[in-house]
Amino acid sequence: MSLRHHAALTAACLLGSVAAARAQHCHSVLRGHITEGNQRDPLAYATVFVKEAGKSTLSDESGYFEIIDLCEDSSYTVEVSHVECAHLVQIVRVRENTTFDFNLDHDAVLKEVIIVEKALAPAPVQAQAALGQADLEATRGTNLAETLRKLPGVSVLSTGATIGKPVIQGLHSNRIALVNNNVVLESQQWGREHAPEIDPFSAGKIMVVKGAAGVRYGPGAMGGAVIIEPEPFRKQDGWGGWVSTGVFSNGRGAVLSGSTDWHKPGSSLVVRAQGTLKRSGNLRAPDYFLHNTGLQEYNASAAASWRKNRWEFESGLSSFNIQTGILRSAHVGNLTDLQLAIESDTPLNNRNLFTRVIDRPYQQAGHLTSRNKAVLRINDTWKLTGQYVFQYNQRREYDVVRSSGSASTRPQLSFQLWTNTLDATIEHQPVRHWQGGAGIQAVQQTNFVGRGGLIPDYHSLGGSVWLMERWRRYPQPWEFEMGARYDYRQTSATSTGSLNNIDTLVHFGNASGTAGVIYHFSRHISMTFNSGLAWRPPHVNELFARGVHHGAGTFEQGNAALTSEKAWNNNLSFQVNSDILTVNLSVYSNHIRDFIYLDPQNTFVLTVRGAFPAYFYKQANAVLNGMDGNASVRIGKSLYLEPGFTIIRGRRTTDAPTGDWLPLMPADRYQYAIRWSKPGGNKRESYIRMGGTTVLRQSRIPAAGLLKPAPAAYTLLNLDGALQLKAGEKPMELGLTVSNLLNTRYRDYMNFFRFYADEPGINISFRLKLII
Amino acid sequence: MKIKVSSFASIAFILSGLFMLGGCEKHDHTEQENITTIKLLVTGPGFDQTFTWNDSDGPGGNAPVIDEIVLPASTTGLQCAILVSDESQSPAVDYTAEISAENTAHLFTWTVSGGASLTITGADQDAYGKPFSQITNWVTGQSSTGFLNVKLYHEPTDKTNSANPGGEVDFDIAFPVKIQ
Repeated sequence: MSLRHHAALTAACLLGSVAAARAQHCHSVLRGHITEGNQRDPLAYATVFVKEAGKSTLSDESGYFEIIDLCEDSSYTVEVSHVECAHLVQIVRVRENTTFDFNLDHDAVLKEVIIVEKALAPAPVQAQAALGQADLEATRGTNLAETLRKLPGVSVLSTGATIGKPVIQGLHSNRIALVNNNVVLESQQWGREHAPEIDPFSAGKIMVVKGAAGVRYGPGAMGGAVIIEPEPFRKQDGWGGWVSTGVFSNGRGAVLSGSTDWHKPGSSLVVRAQGTLKRSGNLRAPDYFLHNTGLQEYNASAAASWRKNRWEFESGLSSFNIQTGILRSAHVGNLTDLQLAIESDTPLNNRNLFTRVIDRPYQQAGHLTSRNKAVLRINDTWKLTGQYVFQYNQRREYDVVRSSGSASTRPQLSFQLWTNTLDATIEHQPVRHWQGGAGIQAVQQTNFVGRGGLIPDYHSLGGSVWLMERWRRYPQPWEFEMGARYDYRQTSATSTGSLNNIDTLVHFGNASGTAGVIYHFSRHISMTFNSGLAWRPPHVNELFARGVHHGAGTFEQGNAALTSEKAWNNNLSFQVNSDILTVNLSVYSNHIRDFIYLDPQNTFVLTVRGAFPAYFYKQANAVLNGMDGNASVRIGKSLYLEPGFTIIRGRRTTDAPTGDWLPLMPADRYQYAIRWSKPGGNKRESYIRMGGTTVLRQSRIPAAGLLKPAPAAYTLLNLDGALQLKAGEKPMELGLTVSNLLNTRYRDYMNFFRFYADEPGINISFRLKLII
Repeated sequence: MKIKVSSFASIAFILSGLFMLGGCEKHDHTEQENITTIKLLVTGPGFDQTFTWNDSDGPGGNAPVIDEIVLPASTTGLQCAILVSDESQSPAVDYTAEISAENTAHLFTWTVSGGASLTITGADQDAYGKPFSQITNWVTGQSSTGFLNVKLYHEPTDKTNSANPGGEVDFDIAFPVKIQ
């Protein structure tokens, strides 16, 4: 393509006459997709005509079009037309390589809109995995970790089937950031049993960034980040939205969710309201019910967006509330109880019946986010953004207690966390082929432990400054990106309880950086290399913990002398993106200095409940190497083969025994599926897919051994599908998802409840989504 | 443009103030319920002693302080009442009454090991006539030493199986025993 391109370029420069301020650089490209309607279905064979350049082209079957040899810094009048749609004329200012998507309406009134700026959304320099629209719909109604489980490089650390946390390339909890609508979630994420307080129903798009993402998302993103974005606000006037409902056979659960947007006619104001309700009862393993595993959840959010001259404002409020039962059999008093539970094939103290009642022990968590953003477009190139976010997180654990005591109405653990974050960012469109931005952030956080003493109270203050720039010059096949960030965190911890008398001030400061390069072999094939430095300060539980962790049967003690973890992550990715073949392959090596872990002491601490093995928090160097990927191969017109795999090897490299495998690393996982899709489908396709997941037995375990041997390898089959229909004029989607199709009996290494009970059996769910 | 920014900023400031107020309210910790101390009140003809197992600073920190149970040999008619409390708080909180009030959901088990010549049998029952063993009868034999393990089970599933009654262990402690 490049030879032809060069010839055309020369010809265009000699012959072309363009109305432009500077006519000397005329090799910019205007490209994008032509779509129609609110659903943005691709529109094939639409004519795109650039008046001043006298060039036209047709969009291809996927709506894609490309017009080359346009001049930089010029305004062009672009006319888009199609036999079925209204004519659309827009003036587009072409900067460098410009992407613009034109959306046509069937019944649109002709509008002339002047677009001030629209530059290319940069291709990711870091390994990423995005959840496809069909997969996102198929997992609606499950929690965030379950939604991500099948992405390559992602695993789930769970405490029963209802509590799950995402694991990105072996790292989780405080080592990954959960970014929900540009807000980094601040909660008690240090806890192994603390699931993220995010409603996947509010997501229009979910993406996982793998590897050091610290420059963009701060010290909580050492291992990666989960990026959740809502659907874009409604562009047309009037009302719009959707309603979705689903039922699940396992747990006899139901979920109802809906979202509605109102765009005030003749104004830029758009208002959105969204909510989700979910309720389910005891889950069932193939042979028995899992008593006290019900859950109920209710979430709601509201947002508004409006523009005035060069300003854009956005404000939002969201609330997440969940109550989760904890498997009754998992609640053990001491090591002897734990041993008895481990030796038993079936869960002890279980009641083999179905109920929706959630009894003690249970967890209750709530999260409130208030988000306020203002954007000022200074001029065509520069944009200034300010954002203030307030988050309140509350989490309580209710244990089994004597019913006559005063404890019977109160929680046994109660945490409250208040966080205020202020961000200011300045970004610019390509200036001499460089695009990027810089920002500063201030964070204030207060933690209060009302009951229980696992972690102390603390006040924390922090500040950060970051810079990120990318170089890109079409048609050169290279792209470069680099970024740097400095964070400072100061924490003052106090605890007045008799068990934990501390009064300490700790502070940590560290730099992070990223450097990456993309090489485009062609329009379809590219390769990415990214090297990143990231860090994370030790959390208060690692510094100051002292107590029995009943669920794990251990006594854990913190270490106030811990220093920050520092990671150096190198990641090489390979992508192929064409109609017939899609490949995403990633190989990485993550070196972490001063990795914090729990070290068995080979001594026992005698407590009133008996003796517990002592574990102290220590730090040593570690290396995590791995490979993950997935692919989609089209056979014929509508059949696809979809293989995938995730492999990770994590070990300690210092401190005896050196070379020891790290605990709780996900076992090797292989996925495979065959899908039949109605041809020509895009975002809303009818399909049916049958697939399987094979997880091997984790043989790489620490030398100290495990309380219970790692479970055997297992294979699960699943089936999912969707049918796109119309209810009158409105699109409607019917979906079916069957997980654990063969009702396989299995336990998973990453699930704490593997000591007590099997995983749930078959789950058949139906869902219905109506676009209104 | 200026007015818009300042009114927006002041709304945000006020909102943040309201939320921060929420953070200033409950700043008194409520103490956690804990069992830290178990007392065995052993009485009989010419004998009245209390043996204590105490870990008042909770798990970790200082090791528990455990009394040695010293009993006269070849004695019958000894009775033991067990008391359960939390001495980490002041004043100390006694749980014995609560436990006895829910005797159907609790069971004390007594296990002698290591060769001590001591036989313990239950002397009370719960509201359903099943074992409870907060009060026990002790009979000693010849001079010997050994250990006594005492457990409190909460919500046992089978009270007649003293080796493994099910439910959860609220405490599991051991005393050294000397019969002389």
